[in-house]
Amino acid sequence: MGNQHVIEMKGINKQFGSITALKNVDFFLPTGEICGLLGGNGAGKTTLMNILYGLYRQDAGQVYMDGKLINIQSPKDSLAHGIGMVHQHFLQIVNYSVIENIVLGADVKHPFTSNLAPEKQKINELCTRFGLELDPEATIGSLPVGTRQKVEILKALFRGIKVLILDEPTTSLTPQEVDSLFQSLKVMVKEGLSIVFITHKLREVLSVCNSISVLREGRNVISLDRKSAAEEELVKAMVGEKLDVKKSIIFSKGKYQTVNPKYRDAPIFNTSNLSYINSDKVKVLKDISIDLYMNEVLGIAGVAGNGQHELVEVIMNIQQPTSGHIRFSGEEFTGKPTRLIWENGLVYIPEDRLDDGFLPKASVAHNLILGFHNTSAYSRKGFLNWKSVFSKSRQMIEEYNIKTAGPDEMGSNLSGGNIQRVMIARVFSQNSRMLVAHNPTRGLDIPSTDFVYQKILEKKKEGMSTLLITEDLDELMLICDRIAILYKGEIVGVLAKKEFEKYRIGRLMSGFRDVDSKTKREG
Amino acid sequence: MNILKRALPYLGAAVVAFLVAGIFIALMGYDPIKAYATIFGTSFKTPYGFIQTILKWIPLTLQALAFTIPFATGKYNIGGEGQMIAGAIGATAAGILLADLPIYFLLPLEILAGIIAGALWGLVPAYLLFQFKINEILTTVLFNFIAFNLIDYVATGPWSDPTAGHPTTIAVGEGGFLPNILTSQPLNAGVLIALAVAVGVYIYTNRTVSGYELVATGANPKASRAHGINTRVQFLLALVLGAAVAGLSGAIEVAGTHHRLIEGLQSNFLLLGLIIGLIAAGNNMAVPFVAFFIAILEVGARAMQRTMQIPVEMVFIVEALLLIFILLSNVVRRRKA
Amino acid sequence: MSGIEETIISFLKLTMLSMVPFVLASLGTMLGGRTGVYNVAQEGMMLVGASVGFLVGYLTENLFLGMLFAMLTGALFGLLLAYFTTTLKMDQFVVGLALFFAGIGISTLLPKKVIGITLTPPMIPTLQDIPVPLLSKIPFIGEIFFNQNALVYTSILVSIALWYFLFKTNLGLQLRSVGENPKAADSLGVNVVRMRYITTILGGVLIGLAGAYLPMVYTGTFTDGMVKGRGWLAIALTFFGGFSPLPILFGSMFFAGIEVLAYKVQIGGTGIPYQFLLMLPYVMTLIIMIFTYSRARVPAFLGQNYDREKRTL
Repeated sequence: MGNQHVIEMKGINKQFGSITALKNVDFFLPTGEICGLLGGNGAGKTTLMNILYGLYRQDAGQVYMDGKLINIQSPKDSLAHGIGMVHQHFLQIVNYSVIENIVLGADVKHPFTSNLAPEKQKINELCTRFGLELDPEATIGSLPVGTRQKVEILKALFRGIKVLILDEPTTSLTPQEVDSLFQSLKVMVKEGLSIVFITHKLREVLSVCNSISVLREGRNVISLDRKSAAEEELVKAMVGEKLDVKKSIIFSKGKYQTVNPKYRDAPIFNTSNLSYINSDKVKVLKDISIDLYMNEVLGIAGVAGNGQHELVEVIMNIQQPTSGHIRFSGEEFTGKPTRLIWENGLVYIPEDRLDDGFLPKASVAHNLILGFHNTSAYSRKGFLNWKSVFSKSRQMIEEYNIKTAGPDEMGSNLSGGNIQRVMIARVFSQNSRMLVAHNPTRGLDIPSTDFVYQKILEKKKEGMSTLLITEDLDELMLICDRIAILYKGEIVGVLAKKEFEKYRIGRLMSGFRDVDSKTKREG
Repeated sequence: MNILKRALPYLGAAVVAFLVAGIFIALMGYDPIKAYATIFGTSFKTPYGFIQTILKWIPLTLQALAFTIPFATGKYNIGGEGQMIAGAIGATAAGILLADLPIYFLLPLEILAGIIAGALWGLVPAYLLFQFKINEILTTVLFNFIAFNLIDYVATGPWSDPTAGHPTTIAVGEGGFLPNILTSQPLNAGVLIALAVAVGVYIYTNRTVSGYELVATGANPKASRAHGINTRVQFLLALVLGAAVAGLSGAIEVAGTHHRLIEGLQSNFLLLGLIIGLIAAGNNMAVPFVAFFIAILEVGARAMQRTMQIPVEMVFIVEALLLIFILLSNVVRRRKA
Repeated sequence: MSGIEETIISFLKLTMLSMVPFVLASLGTMLGGRTGVYNVAQEGMMLVGASVGFLVGYLTENLFLGMLFAMLTGALFGLLLAYFTTTLKMDQFVVGLALFFAGIGISTLLPKKVIGITLTPPMIPTLQDIPVPLLSKIPFIGEIFFNQNALVYTSILVSIALWYFLFKTNLGLQLRSVGENPKAADSLGVNVVRMRYITTILGGVLIGLAGAYLPMVYTGTFTDGMVKGRGWLAIALTFFGGFSPLPILFGSMFFAGIEVLAYKVQIGGTGIPYQFLLMLPYVMTLIIMIFTYSRARVPAFLGQNYDREKRTL
């Protein structure tokens, strides 16, 4: 009989500058179990596991493996102890092969030649043993997301790990792939592994984990067995007092007040036969035709990498479409300069908040007016009216609860959540008629996520339609009126609200077209 | 008070730099106290010294701005001296070809020719960046070397002055001389032009929409592009503007200081301009002040070489150390935050 | 042997001789670049290498000692570059520029201090040609490839060795991965910091040696600014060669060929003013960059610092 807990973390503290990420956190992984580490974004789950994996160093606290104190300075140490990690964003070199990515950093039999035959054999054996299917010679770039995740898992298995940490592994998977992953995890446990499953999705934890530990704002809340866990208790543990669960959208199970889209009127926005060929001569968008109506939230579902990024960039004219048309508010908008798109009330929340939506080296005020800096609200005859910029900025800071010293504070001082609030304030405070939102709640904690949903629905009532492009199926089914599914650059189906069903959408996301796809609108 | 608090780490870094340099000077067998006294004192000992400092300040400020304007967008203009030479050649060409025109025509034309020539010299690297994404550090530097050969040709070619012992052209027409603004000292009106440019650049970057787009582009080009700013144009515009300012510095050297084209007029202005720009961390308001400080050091350096036989390069090392320690102080400040 | 044959042989032999500073400096740039460090200090590093190499060679009357010290100085600069960028996480371009300034200052100051001002420039003997037994007797090729100085042979051998290491060994794959995705490499236990230090220091060694070559082969003495932009050209060459040793080697031959051509035409005398001929290498570089730059295969994380604890949103 081995140790009861294969991993024990006691009293872990971690600060990033003035931000406390973890305060006195304990974590125990029972041997041979799948333990769910549950909490909203920003709760500290990834930070805790990054410490276990050696990517971060704790400021205080100890880590024990099989009862013995261990000292982890880097991933090299954790791997030596048999601890592996599958990260949320895959760490792969896209133009190298699968096997080259897997053996990276490991001791190979022939370091001074390029012979990888012994390693290839080992990988094939592991694939058979754990039921994973892979071609070691394939180039990463050619693989779909689900397979790329298998590569990440194999990277750990190849190094003979005993403990596997998975960080939000289901983000980019279809429901069917999620089931398949859970199967693999159960096989791994049978083979003697212990697993930490980091997630913010309650349902997943309840369906696959043997024990559950909840973190909130860097502190332990509760830890319990699956058997003694109740959904309501876990929800309360995740959000604490920060959110009134009864008034929230997230936990409303779809029962909230909203208006109906105006399907009888002409759409406010539509694309017809929109296509885009990228610089590698690949046709990433194929004849996309979608309609967005007034007072509607239209969702675009799909696994990442099926053209979502390109669709958004073409709509905002950051890239020019190769063919097809875009119409907005009755006007031809194809190829219209991005500046005019913003100034005409078509606004955008980019997926990569920091990269595509924020100016860290400029002031908060600079950030709040980005995209609108040339409108009459803020400027006249080419000169900025700083007085109105500052007064409007102060308004937005108050209304959207942005924690900052003032409009002239340097952007880089803001925390992640407040950066998102700046971007939300930016798009929602002008009288915009349409919002393109790409993964708008990714990385947000639960209260902030709910705030975004509230705002989208509030603005929907006021006449702002939303095109919501996201990988999160739960989000789509919660707030959308219709869902279109994007697969390899094509719209393969559009479902009305009463047709929303997880596995049906999942099949479409994997490219299996609907045999009986219903009409596009209600009534 | 707030400004003083913010300047403190810079002053601290400066003190450390001078201490380290002082140790170097002592190790080389010279008296560091006397050396520093000469370096700092020369500018203020005589009115002539002070005027020389201001005359040095002009090209230093302009060269620094030629660097900081593109730097605000994240691009590095290392071509200041080539652009200065181009500007000088342009001004000289106007000044010699139109030598008979009166000052009201000739002088503005000369200055304008210099600005345009400098801008054109920067336009090619800017365009290569715009169209082919070629790194501007390489292209602007290559154009410097092309300019060195070009000025040699002009200064030894058809306009060359045979009586001079060094490659130089004949003088430009009298109408092309920048007037002196003081009767007792040779302080030419170039200082007024340079001041106007410094103020103008500040207003541009801080108060105009176009300046906002420049700042945003430098802060995050991807985000700027997603929000409607044409960043590729911003890069090009900033580089050409910087080059134009560098061209102006060359025109002023011709019209104000030398009244002719002298090979080597670019001196070490580019290097110092880069150092000033980096020390000022791209802050256009700080540039004239840092430039003045460096001008004092440079004037003092020549005096130090004359009176104490310490090579002028020693001051360059001081300036380089100053930059390094200020950069390090930024790191320290970042760590503390 | 006819006059034309002699001219061609002389031209090619001179080209091989002239390619050395380009090859060494580019390989040095490439090494650091493969782990993500974008060195822009080459011009200053070569100046210091030339200055130190010359001074030590002059004082000890031993060229190889001069080369050794030039390489050590280059290593020192490489170490500083690695420290400021990898450990202190300062901007790579700014650090490169600062080192470039330092290089200029030190290279001009040292000779003045150590030797002082003299009436005639102090000279060192230049590197002798070392003919390879048997191979140097081959007609035509023998004279061009096998009757050169030691550093020509060294450059070729180093290029081949680096090519083999980087592209034909698993260790080389590991090194390249650091520049392609440092986070992936780090997460698997590859020591990103150590790799960056090693490549930058070794790169500095090569660049310092490239600088020392100039007084030891071309002029026999040190003059301010004698590198004449070859350090900057090396950067262009590295891009032109796609950060790969063999294309860099051939690209260097090409660049050197243009340099020699301009020189020969100038001597030969045509109607063109010599200054325009001297511009030729730079102009050609610009033209070549237009055709190759956007297609250059560059390490994905070139110029970016890596911070393991950096928080992304």
